[in-house]
Formats: sequence, structure tokens, C-alpha cells
Amino acid sequence: MSSLPTVDQFTPASGIGRIDTPADIARMKASLLKDIQRSAYVYRVDCGGCNGCEIEIFAAITPLFDAERFGIKVVASPRHADILLFTGAVTRSMRMPALRAYEAAPDPKIVVSYGACGCSGGIFHDLYCVWGGTDKIVPVDVYIPGCPPSPAATIYGFAVALGLLGQKLTAKTHVEGENERVAIAHPTVPYNLRVLVEREARRMAGYRQGGDLAEVFLAAMEAPDGRPFADRLAGLLRSTPDPRTREIFEALGGVITAAVGRLAR
Amino acid sequence: MFKLIKEIFRSGEATVKYPFAPLPMEKDLRGKPEHTPEQCIACAACTIACPPNAIGMTTDVEAATRTWSIDYGRCVFCGRCEEVCPTDAIRLSQEFELAVAKREDLVMKAVFRLARCEACDTPFAVAKEVAYVQEVVAASAPTPDEAEQRRRLAATCPACKRAHDVRQPAAFGVARRLEETRR
Amino acid sequence: MNVMTQLPVGATHVAALRAEMPHAVLEERRQTADQITVTVKLESLPEAVAYLYYRRGGWLSVVVGNDERSIDGTFGVYYVLSMEEEDRCYLVVHAKVPEGKEEFPSVTPKVPACVWGEREIRDMYGLVPVGLPDARRLVLPDDWPEGLHPLRKDAMDHRFRPAPTADDETYSFVNDSDRETTVVPLGPLHITSDEPGHFRLFVDGEDIVDADYRMFYVHRGMEKVAETRMGYDEVTFLADRVCGICGYAHSVAYATSVENALGIDVPIRGQAIRAILLEVERLHSHLLNLGLACHFVGFDTGFMQFFRIREKSMMLAEMLTGNRKTYAINLIGGVRRDILGEQSSRTLATVRELRDDVTRLVDMLVSTANVEGRVKGVGILDPQIARDYSPVGPLVRGSGHRRDTRVLHAFQGYRLTGLDINTGDGCDVLSRTLVRVNEVFDSISLIEALLADTPAGPILTEDFTYVPYKFALGFTEAPRGEDIHWSMTGDNQKLHRWRCRASTYANWPVLRYMLRGNTVSDAPLIVASIDPCYSCTDRVTVVDVKKATQKTVPYKEMERYCRDRTASPLK
Repeated sequence: MSSLPTVDQFTPASGIGRIDTPADIARMKASLLKDIQRSAYVYRVDCGGCNGCEIEIFAAITPLFDAERFGIKVVASPRHADILLFTGAVTRSMRMPALRAYEAAPDPKIVVSYGACGCSGGIFHDLYCVWGGTDKIVPVDVYIPGCPPSPAATIYGFAVALGLLGQKLTAKTHVEGENERVAIAHPTVPYNLRVLVEREARRMAGYRQGGDLAEVFLAAMEAPDGRPFADRLAGLLRSTPDPRTREIFEALGGVITAAVGRLAR
Repeated sequence: MFKLIKEIFRSGEATVKYPFAPLPMEKDLRGKPEHTPEQCIACAACTIACPPNAIGMTTDVEAATRTWSIDYGRCVFCGRCEEVCPTDAIRLSQEFELAVAKREDLVMKAVFRLARCEACDTPFAVAKEVAYVQEVVAASAPTPDEAEQRRRLAATCPACKRAHDVRQPAAFGVARRLEETRR
Repeated sequence: MNVMTQLPVGATHVAALRAEMPHAVLEERRQTADQITVTVKLESLPEAVAYLYYRRGGWLSVVVGNDERSIDGTFGVYYVLSMEEEDRCYLVVHAKVPEGKEEFPSVTPKVPACVWGEREIRDMYGLVPVGLPDARRLVLPDDWPEGLHPLRKDAMDHRFRPAPTADDETYSFVNDSDRETTVVPLGPLHITSDEPGHFRLFVDGEDIVDADYRMFYVHRGMEKVAETRMGYDEVTFLADRVCGICGYAHSVAYATSVENALGIDVPIRGQAIRAILLEVERLHSHLLNLGLACHFVGFDTGFMQFFRIREKSMMLAEMLTGNRKTYAINLIGGVRRDILGEQSSRTLATVRELRDDVTRLVDMLVSTANVEGRVKGVGILDPQIARDYSPVGPLVRGSGHRRDTRVLHAFQGYRLTGLDINTGDGCDVLSRTLVRVNEVFDSISLIEALLADTPAGPILTEDFTYVPYKFALGFTEAPRGEDIHWSMTGDNQKLHRWRCRASTYANWPVLRYMLRGNTVSDAPLIVASIDPCYSCTDRVTVVDVKKATQKTVPYKEMERYCRDRTASPLK
């Protein structure tokens, strides 16, 4: 611990200093990346996660994704570690064990905060028995979001941590432009009818598949070719081989037929 | 032992090529929620539906702006925002390479201008939202007059609407009493 | 049996209870066709639970505490019994604890299975179980302020975080041995790998004399946030994250508990999709456990092979739900994704492939020398101990008990198809492993059957309104056994109470008996055989009876010893 400069900004009960100036991190990382010249050893610190992250880390080192191709090896003790991988929202009971693991790892070390819980506490961010993320107790070098991050996202995250791949995401702020307006979708279909169709689609096949199928359906119904509704529906059904998708289109057609019937009455 | 060796030969090389080649992704993967600010009316449906509070909005009355934000570091990729969005402004993509070195890089923001109430001139809702609602309510109006009235109603703040709602019946009441006394 | 067709389900048990204990039953309420809650006098609570448990074929599912002072000025305690012999149903024994005199007679001396539930009620509500021998905390951290009970409605905001007071733990571990023991702690608070939990083994040389453990390092306060920050639909996504492996089972159990309380009929197609996804989850979970079984007996090639084919079930989950682990598929009233034609045919092709793969790998596993030698006769769970503590899942089935929620209390899509219960009578690690192997094949057949004949129609209903203070149970058979949730709706479009009991919660208390009499090197294997959400064993303290020494062994070192069986860390 003695080699770590102490920053008074954050001093937990154990007396671990927090180093989070960019210069410090850059210096540490550079020296680590230059000095190791070999495999990077990873030690997992579970700070009270749901286990989903742990299993995905496991999946990342087993045959299909095989992170050991890149020399990334999970080790048994923090004393062997170059990279500490913190998962979980940091529960009250796990705060001290996590700090001890951090202390035990030799300097310089890279701290990776893994998963939504590690990055910010995730869905547990404001609960009474959690601290809300890794960076509340130790300085973090790389954040890997995901709930949980997939093995591929894990490999990408390691690559970013080791400086092999660059990061893609950067903070962005969009400011509303002049005359920015949102048009109503499918303007030729009456608004209330479109809502009924989309709602039925969600009931039949959920927001995603149903939403996409409703788009296909509405596009077919409003194409400017002058054919009557029943013909268009029949054409759509003919060109749909999957019986379940046909059933969904039929249900959407039923919504329109019923609405037209109500209007006629 | 023989069975094991046979199995090893059988399975051959199982490892995927990623990151040297792109990984084949499922069409409906729940990856990074992709927000299209141009298509967003800042109606706040997603901020209410979001289980981990990764999406939020803050209002700055002084500057007459409202800022929508999403924190990918807190997002649990459930797709509720996509499900509740009335204008398809947010959709979960196949993007999964989200790792960053700085916490701030996980936050995306969009700033929207607030519209002023037609009656009292205080900022009360995002201008794009008001315009969208005006278009929706006017489209279903039976007469052009009615459409215009609905448009104006949509551009009035809730406080003025309430006050108006109280004044109107009161005015009716006075008119009726006047008529009664005349008789 | 003919008589029962005349009576509503479960009525025989209530009649028998009334006959056995006249005047004890105050009220009888029916939540669903097979769920009844009987309110008994507080002083009759232990006798009533014990009678139903031992004399009517009841197994304890969960003990629920509830702050009902805003409703009738009392705290409720609910003992949920799964009646599994004649006239199968869920029978809930409820008693009211008046505000101001906050204690109730402990049921644990009569029914040992209640021990964790009663300790938890004391932690969360401050109700004192009079006569409960174990006075230690269960759920709350050691340094949590005395007298602050988080689930009392007037206790605190869900965001309140008391400042840390201690950096060390003060939990005292129990050793029932009459000999002198040496403590071997498996890395107490020193190493943090796998899932948190602290073990203490009391050993005599290499033999385990007794064991105790401290769990709930991951206690986060989910039940409180579900009552405060979240609405009904949002909690399904929270329930997904109770456990990273069997999260979907929790999500279904929660959603059905609310649906049962409000009498919502989930469309039949939605029910079938839930069952299909539960089986996909069982596939990847069981393949994980089979892989770990290989790992712990030192057969790492087998471990890698099982993980290779396990990835196929993960791809399946990703295709069907959009995510490999947290499915985010449930809403109250149904599911959020359909299974269209192409997905259905790809699923069928994948599970067919998996059936061949698993057949070959299991063949390879059993033909590998010394695997059987390591797992046979190890970690015996005595059927009587199982009866006393109500464990669940492959653990209890491996000891010959026919307990499987999918069959005994068929729910959701399982009503559409037939299923047998797999049991084994070896009571050992081998028996439990074989039960899991058979269940993998059953899951594959179930997925095939449900996809071959998926009901038509919608997957979600919106045709309901929330009514306050309705309550019911929801249950699923997770890969590790029964998950059971008890929900009560509130008056502010939020839950009044959500009690979630994970399957491993019911399995921990028997582990102590399974460890006794085995060698230290088998401990990780035995713990893995209850499949404790992957491996909750990273901190074990081992105490030597004779030498009276205490030693801390990192879990990885224990694990290595379990695999290699050379160079004992105890010497």
C-alpha cells in the first residue's frame, strides 16, 4: 500500500487512498502495460452481484469465447492479479472484503468495473444495503456496462482495459435544432386506428416482434395501389409462409374490420 | 478415455473469431438503446417505465430547456423504453461494445426547448411535444374550428387550464342567473 | 378419493385442522382454486403448523412476515405449506401479531424448517419468535444498527444507508461437536472469488465434524425497493435479478403471484412461452452444474466440454429473449416476446443437437475412471433430515422424495403437458448429479412438446385493474428447486409486500448435515452438489477438533485440494 499516493478526498475506514487524477491513471496503466509483457492476470471481486456477471465471465474463458487466447487468465488470489474485476453493486457486507482484495493486489493495477451494478449500482443503485457501484469505494479504470455484459462485450472490455482496442462510446449532448418536428407515423391511417392496430400487435407478439409486424402490416395497407382492404390483406397473407405470423396479420386485419364495422353502424 | 479423445476430435475448434471478425448477432438482440433525439418529443414515458432509473429528465425553467439523459452504465437493457415510446425514438440495437475509461462517457443527453403557455407565457412543456400533440388532437377534430380550439388547448399550461375550467362554469352560472332574474 | 372430487381442493386439510384443534381456526380465505389461507389464534400457531407439516404431508415453502398495521393494526406471519400427499394444494397458516406486543411463539422447536424464516422476520420486522433457540441475525449485516427493522413501513426510507460502524464481523459460528475441534476457515474475508458466503468447518484431522456458515453477504434490500420505488411491472425486471442463473424462474414466480392475487388469466400461449423459457433456463443451469461437477473431481476437460455445449443453450436464450441471461420477458398479464416460426424451428434444431451432445458427454463422464469413486457415497443427505428441513430441487429428489412443483402444483405451461418426477435413492452427490442429467433430457422433450403444439392467440392480457390488499402465492420449479413468491397489492399502484424465497434458501440449512462425516477435500464437491447458484463457498473456516487450531484456507486452495487430493492445506 505504501507506494500509493493518498488523496484526502476519499479515505475509507481502512485507510486506502483514492487515486483518480487522469495523470495518475495514465501513468499507472502505461507502466503496467509496458512492464507486464506477458499474460494479464485477472482476479474477480464479487461485491454482491446476482451471479449473472460471474457466469458470463466464466463463459468468456471457456471454449467458445476463450479469452485465454489473449493471455487473459483468471487467477485465484488478488496477490497475483494485474486486473481486478469488480462485479456487483457493493453491498454493505461486502465493502470491507472488497477493499481488502483491492489492498492485497500489487501496484500498479487496473480496476475494471463490470456490469450495470459495478458501473453504477444498476437496478439496485439506491437500496439501503448497497453503496451503489465500484467507484464509490475504489478508483476505476475501465467500465464495462451490460446486464450482464456478454462474453463478447467482456473480451472487448478487456481489450480496452489493456489498450488493445479503442473505446467507441463518448459522451454526447444533442441540442434541439431549429424547426425540429416529429411527424405522426403513417399519416394516411387514422391515428386512433393505428393505435388500436399497434396495441393488438403488442398483445399478439410483444413490443418488438409485434411492433415490427405492425409496421409491415400498416405499410402494406397504405401502399398507394388503390386495391380494396380485403385484397391487400389477402395478398399480405399469401406472401407470409409462417403460420404464426399469418395469425398475427389476421388479428391485425380483424382490428381494422371491426373498426370499419363500428363506423358503418 | 477413448470416448473423451473421440469427443475432443469431434468438436474440433469451437472458438469464435471475435474480435478479429464480427460476431454474428441475433436480429432482436437487446443491445445498446439507440436514441434518435430528432424523433423524440420528451414525453417522459421512458423515464417512468425504466426499472433502474437509467433514463431521466431535468428541467431548467430559467433557460426554458428540458434535458433528457440515459446512463448506459446503469441501463439493464430490458427494452421497456422501446416498448413505451410513442414515436419510436428509442430502439435497442445490436451494439454491445460499450466499455469506456471515463464514467462520463456512458451518459448521453439531449436538450429540448420548452414551449410557453399561450395564456400566461410561462414555459411548461417541450415545444416538440406540444406541436406533436396539437397535430394529433387536431387531426381527429370534426370541424376546423374545433381543431383550432384543441390546438390552443394543447398549448395551454395545466395551471391555466385549471383556472379556465373554474372560470368557465362560474361564468355559465352567472349568465344563467342573469337570465333567470330577467324573466 | 371420490369424496374429494366433491369438495374444493384443499378443503380436507382445513376440515382436519378444525377437527384436530377445535376453536383454533379463526378465518379461512381462498386465493385461488388451490391456495387457502387459514388464520389461527396466535398461541395455536406452532401446533397448527406442526400438525399440517408432519401429519398431513405438508412441506414448508416459506415464512412471510408482513406489516399490516395500516390495514388492521397487526403484523401478519404466514407459514406457507405445500401439501404434497393427498389433496395437493398450498395451505397458508396465518396468525396476527398485535402492535405493541410484538412477539409470537416460535414454530422451530416443532418444525426445524422454520428456523431461517423466523430469524428473518426478527431481522426485518423486529417481531420476537419466543422459544427460537438461535438468537443470531440472519439477513442483516453485522454492523446494521440495532432496533432498525427495514421492512417496517414506518422504519426508514428505502435509500437510507446507516454509516458503517465496524470493519470486522461479529457473527458467532455454531459447533455442535462434543469433541475439541480445530477451526479451518476457508478464507474468511480474505479472498473474494465466486459468490460471497462464509464457511466454517470444524474438523478432526481431515474429517469434518460440523460446519456452520454465514450467508447473505449479498443482501441488498430488494423487497423494500419493490414496495417503494417500483411499480408492478418494474418488479418483474427486479425479480429477474434475484439470481443471475435462475432469474427467469423468479420473474415468473413474481408475476404469477400478482396474477393469482388479482385473478388475472394469462393467455395460454403466454403460459406456454413462459414454460419453454423456464426449460431453456434449466438446460443452461444444469449443464453448468454438470460442468462444475467435472471440475470439482479434477476432470477439467469434461468441464470445458460441458461449457462448450452449454453455449448452445445460451445462444438459444439470446435468440428467444434478446439476452443470454436476464430475459426481461414478463409483464403482469403475460410475456413480451412471441416465438415466431423461424425461431421455433431453430430452437427445435438446437435442442435436438443438444440431446446428442449431452448423451455423448454423459457417456464420456460415466466411463471416465474414478469419477464415480469421487461422487458415490459422498455428502449423504439423510431422507429424514430432508423431511425435517424441507429442501427442494434435485437435492431432495436425489434423496428419494418426490418433490417437483412442475408436477405437484402444475403451473403455467406445465398444465399443457405431462411430466414425470426424476428421483434417485443414493442420497449422495452421484444421485443428485444423475437426477440433473435426467432432467436435462426431460427439459429437451418438454421444449419439443410445447413447440410442436404451441397454443394460438395472444401472449399478453391488459384486461384487468389493480385492487388493493389482495395477496397470493406464485411458484415455479427453478433448476435448483421450488422458487416461491408471496405478494400483496397495495393502495398506491405499488406492492404492499413482496416476499421472494429462492430455492437455495431452502437448501442451505441441510448442508451442515451433508458435510458432517466427510473429508475436507470433499467439501467443495458437496457444496457444489446442492448447486448453490454456482458456488457460494468462497469463505470457509475449518476448525480442527483435536489440535484446537484455526486456519484460514483460500477457497481456491480448497478447490485445488478437492481436485488433486494431494498436499493437504491443513498440514
